[in-house]
This record gives sequence, structure tokens and C-alpha cells, in this order.
Amino acid sequence: MALPLTYGQLLETNNLIQQNVDESYWLCVTRTVQESKLFPVPSYMMLSYLMAFYRYPSLLRKIETRMSAEELGDRSREMAMKHRAPGVSWGLPNFYLLGREWLINLGVIKPTDAIEDVMYVMDFWKRFQLALYRNDGHMSRVQYGHRAQILSERQAQVFHSDLYACAEGDELHEAAHAFMASASQYGFLISCESRISLHNHGPYKLTDNSEMIVRDFMDLAESDFPWLDGVAEGVEYNNITVTMAAKDCHFYLVDDWGSFEAEPEFTAEKLVGVGLYTSDNLSEGYVPLGMESRESLIAMFRKLDGQVKEAMNNLWKRIAGYSRDQMLDAGAITYFGIVKDLAHVAGVYDVDDWMKVDERAERFRPLLNDEYGRDVLGELVGLLSNPSQKLSDYSMMMHSNAPTRMYTPIPYSVLSGEGYTPTCGPVYPGVTNLPEKKDVYTTTRGKMSLAQYNKASQDFTPAAVAPENRFLCDTWVKYNAGSDKADALYAISQGTSRKLSGKGSTLSRQDVEALRD
Amino acid sequence: MVKLYVDSDKFGDANASPTVDAFHAAVKEIVRTKLAASGGHWDSFVFDKSYALITAEDMAGVEKMMLDAGHLFDWSAAISPQERPDVYKPIEGVSDADMAKFSFEHEDAVTGPDGNLEQRGQGDNVARYPTDCEGIARYVRSPMQVMKFLEEGVPDNTIAIIDDSGGTLTAPILDQFKGVICAGGSTRSHLGILTREYGVPCLMNAKISGIRQGDTVRFECTADPKTAADYQKNVDRTAKVWRVASAD
Repeated sequence: MALPLTYGQLLETNNLIQQNVDESYWLCVTRTVQESKLFPVPSYMMLSYLMAFYRYPSLLRKIETRMSAEELGDRSREMAMKHRAPGVSWGLPNFYLLGREWLINLGVIKPTDAIEDVMYVMDFWKRFQLALYRNDGHMSRVQYGHRAQILSERQAQVFHSDLYACAEGDELHEAAHAFMASASQYGFLISCESRISLHNHGPYKLTDNSEMIVRDFMDLAESDFPWLDGVAEGVEYNNITVTMAAKDCHFYLVDDWGSFEAEPEFTAEKLVGVGLYTSDNLSEGYVPLGMESRESLIAMFRKLDGQVKEAMNNLWKRIAGYSRDQMLDAGAITYFGIVKDLAHVAGVYDVDDWMKVDERAERFRPLLNDEYGRDVLGELVGLLSNPSQKLSDYSMMMHSNAPTRMYTPIPYSVLSGEGYTPTCGPVYPGVTNLPEKKDVYTTTRGKMSLAQYNKASQDFTPAAVAPENRFLCDTWVKYNAGSDKADALYAISQGTSRKLSGKGSTLSRQDVEALRD
Repeated sequence: MVKLYVDSDKFGDANASPTVDAFHAAVKEIVRTKLAASGGHWDSFVFDKSYALITAEDMAGVEKMMLDAGHLFDWSAAISPQERPDVYKPIEGVSDADMAKFSFEHEDAVTGPDGNLEQRGQGDNVARYPTDCEGIARYVRSPMQVMKFLEEGVPDNTIAIIDDSGGTLTAPILDQFKGVICAGGSTRSHLGILTREYGVPCLMNAKISGIRQGDTVRFECTADPKTAADYQKNVDRTAKVWRVASAD
């Protein structure tokens, strides 16, 4: 699966690296280095970057033996699992490149090392992203001015039509708001202070004065993370999606780090519609939760709120009793495992692949006290003050105008005889300070063992990406709406819709709005 | 001595952090030594022999080098000095005894009379509310304090004074605060996001001075929120923090 080492390929790889430099720097400077009194955050982040460097190339190749990056991207439009965003969209290339950059500055590797790995990881990222964002036609959110329209019209219409109207102060508004606050906080705790359990995409235009944002809360139940075993037993759904209609504001920024910004400011009274769903790689798209009636939706929000609150309190007490090494493991695994769901989708998930610290990365753990972790992370992603990140004084970096660059490109000199190494090698054994993972995985088909989950994943193809439908894009629909084939495509999403079931493929957005309660 | 690829660097210079600079110099020296011992052939060293030759014990030696020189490390997670008090600077401003006289002191805090109030600093407002937020200042700086509040309940009218911009330390009790003043982070930090979700007034990146445990404080959550664009463009947009009454 090695890419050819040609000038054209290297130019593309280095451009993909640079795209991540520009966006990651922007994401970092609009925030501060994240520290926590509970978790040794910068230290675990640094450990995770090494895990990514040593393992991502091999694990992605293993995944692609069963499913291509393009198919993974296509399937990912039909569900909200963590690998999608912020997983592959930001974490995959950047965690890998941060590990590489750190090792270069330690003198442990050269910029000319593991270049087949570098080219492959960046190429995987490109192919997945292009497929995931096929509907909006971009490769990343920043290319689209910090927005992401992942949904096809087929999916957007169902989310639109099935929204229940709400207003500040009413029961639904309060129940939805309370759940999202609890789920956000629980997500931060599950993810050891990182924001990678929650995400948003959109906006999608609903009417002249309203837009829809889709919020995803992921990895909430007993599934991959050992620290959720037991404490999250009562959480019914692993991935929860909340559709939100907002009036009188425009979401001008929906970035890869789960932040959104609106003008005027999105405040509580602007939330005028909500819906609730679950999904994963075993579901036929998004499965409605409590959407039969307004009353059942309120009850479902309240039930889920209670479930996550109870799990959060239990998890907080568990983590407060962890050793530093256990916290370091949990955090590093959370970060490194940001793309683990790719292995679930392909049906090749292995606990040892994703829930353990590769022994090559483990060697560097003794460096990672709080001070060094804080300072080296700050230099690597904020100050860009490592020697490898300094450029000629003529250079002016995007956003800062400083002579710096976050990631080192592959030197083109490898094309004219400079020596290089192709790969860091296969996956090495891993270690963990955490309890053994319980063999329970919460899916949309209930709880199952890993063997059952992998088998089910291998056996299932969602109808929307079955060969007869996969390439029926919105451009095709534009010219074929009303045909049997188009109606059958739309029926895939409409099957569970309370408003659009059997309505076919010819409805306009205005028609859908008219069908709402 | 074997020379590393990065030993020749036209544009690179020292790291900004002396700790990082010292650590990296020490690791590079280990790599040089082990590479020389392996025969000096990089290609067979980098992803093969080095895996056995460069060890965790070597890395532990890097930290020991600084400790032997008398350096004690800054800590951020409470668990770190708790497990290795000999390695980290002492924990201060956390115990009940410390709290009686502890206060955050930021050199850029704007202080002085402001009408009939006393300004004690300023911060970045997360979300706008109809009225300013007033309550009793209580520092929340450690998991032990959170556990205490979790078991005994958060006193009514508490404005939490926090220096952890994360969302996990106060996770089980955040929704019980009347307000939050955080001496770090930005409005887009996790604590900022969560307080907005919960509808708890909050200032982030607060630069405050002289606020003691039990003081009655008020902050200007009626001010314009600070946006991502404001941070990017360095727009000066702050909300005031006042002391209404001293606990003394």
C-alpha cells in the first residue's frame, strides 16, 4: 500500500501537512493550553502523540485491509461516531504529526525518517475527509470557512421535519438544555478533560431566519474505555445526537474542536426546535429516541439526563482515586483512540491495538512530569519555539506573521539521493496501568461482546452505502428526483421519520417546513 | 562523537523553556551515545536497535539530572505532588488553613474605587445575563475540596474562584455555583463552555487581586461576551470584578 515516492506525491503530502499547520495554529491560539487540577493533561497529550506516531500507520493499514478510507468516509456520513470529527478530521493528522515533531526535537528521528508512513497517514486523512465532506465538497472545515455540511438533503429533511418546536421556559426546552449541559460535562470527564466526546456540524439553513446545528455526544456508555466499565452501566446509548434549530442568529463558525460561534450570540431563547437520535456503525442511519410525541421526547431527555448525571458522579469518584499513571494512561488512550471507531466500522477492533500504550512510546513516560509536559506542549503547539519549528527570518506564518511552522515537511532532498527510512515498523506490544477491559460493548443493537461486535460490523452494510445507492449523490438527485430510484434512496432515511415516511424525494425545504407541527 | 541530523540547524535556537531545553539536550546526548555504541549507522538504529537501546531508565535519568541540580518542578494536577512530593514544589493555597489568608494576586488586575464599590480585577465574560452576579467568594482548587462539597453540598450563593479552566475538577458540583470567576483559560475553554451550557455566569481569564475566602463579590456578567474573533484580534473586552464587602 506504499505510495510512490515521487515529486508530485511529496508536494501533495507536504501541502496536506501545511494545511494542518495553518488550522491547528489557529485552533490553538483562540484557546489556551488546557490544564487541569484533576488530570495531568499536557503530559498525557504528549504521550498520546508518541502512541499515534508509532501505531497509526500500522493500524490504519490494518483497517484498510477490510475497508478503504473512502468507504469509511462514506459510511461516516450516516452516523455520529467519534472517529468522524474530531477524530479523523483533526486528531488523526495532528496527533501523528505532533509525535513526529516532538521526536525530531528529541533527536530520536530525522525529518527523513518514516516517510512512507507520513505520506500514507496524510493520504488516508485526505481520502477519508473528501468522502466524509462529499456533500459540501471540501476537505476540511477551514476550507469551507469553518463550517461542515455533512448531511445530504435526504438526511437534512428528516432532521428538519421531525424537530419539535420549543421556547425558552417550556418543558422541552428545559429538558433538552439540561441534558446537553450534563452530557457536555460528562463528555469532558469521560475524555479526561479533552473535548473530544462532543462535536457539532452545520449549520443547515431551515428558513429565512433559522438554522440547524447538529450536536453529537459520543462514547457515553460502557464500550471501549475501561474506566467506564461499571460506572456507565446505566447509560443506554453510546452515541447521542441532538438536532437544534436556532432562530435569529447565524452560526458563522463550527470548527473541528467542537466550538461554534453565532452572530448575534446564540442564547437560550434562540433555541426553537430539538430532536434526539442515536446511531453507530450497526444502525441504519440515525435512530429516533423518544420522538413519537413531544411528551415522550421530554421524558427521554430527562431520563438520559439522569443517566449521565449518575454516571458522571460515579466516574468522578473513580477517577479521583486513580494514580497518576492511571490518569496518564486514560488520557493518552482517549487522545490516541480518537480514531479507534474506524476499526469498529471495519470490524477489526482489537483492545490491545487501541487501549494500551505502545512500549516504544512508554519509554518516554519518565520525562512527562507536569512542568515538562506543560512547557513542551506549549512550545510545540502555541509558541512554536522548538528548533525544528523555526524558519528563515523572511518567513511569515499564517495568523502570526512569525518565522515559524508547526510541522516539518518531508525534505525534497530524498528525491535526489538523501537517505531516508520508510516506516517505524509494525505495532509493538502495549502496556497499561488500567484494569482489564470488560468484554461489553454498547451498540444500537444492545450490549454485546467484542467478537460479536466485530462480526456484526463485518456483516453489515447500511443501505445508503450499498453499491446501488452509494454514488447517488445530491447532484444526481437534483436531476432524478421523483424517480423510483430516488424515492427508494430517500426512503432509507424516511423510514423512521414521524413526518416524512413515504413522502419521496421531491419535497422542497419549504414543503418540509410546512409539514412540521 | 556521533553528530545528529538536528545538530546542524540554520534557523533553530534554544527552546523557550529552560526545562524543555535541558530535557531535550539530555535526550539528544543519550541518542548520540547509544547511536555510537550501536555502530553509528542511523538506518539500522532509528526504528530497530534504538528501541532496545533507548530505555525508560535513560529518560528517568534526564529528570534526575535536574532534580540533582536542585530543581523542583511546577505541578498542575493535584495527584502529581501528592504522589511525589520530593519532585514538585510544595502545594499551597489548598488546605483550609491556607485558605484563611490566600488570594489570587495578578499583577495586571485593575484595582481601586469604582463608584461606591471597590474594583478587584477584571475578566472575559462568557455569556451575557440581565443582571450582574453577586455572591460569596469560595476558592475551589483541589479534588479534595470538590469531594467535600460533593459530600456536604455547596453552600448557597457561592461564587467559585477557580484557577483550573478545565471542566472536570468541578464536574459534579458546577451547576450548584451561583457564579464562577476563573483565573485562567478563555471563554472557549472547557469551563467557559460548560458554564454557558448550565447558565452559570462566568468570567474566564480573570486577573484579580485581594479577594479572600468569604468576601462578598460581584462581577459584570452584563458585559459583552468575549468572542473567538476578539481573542484573535487582541480586542480588549473585559468585565469588572468588585468586592462588595470583606469577610473580615
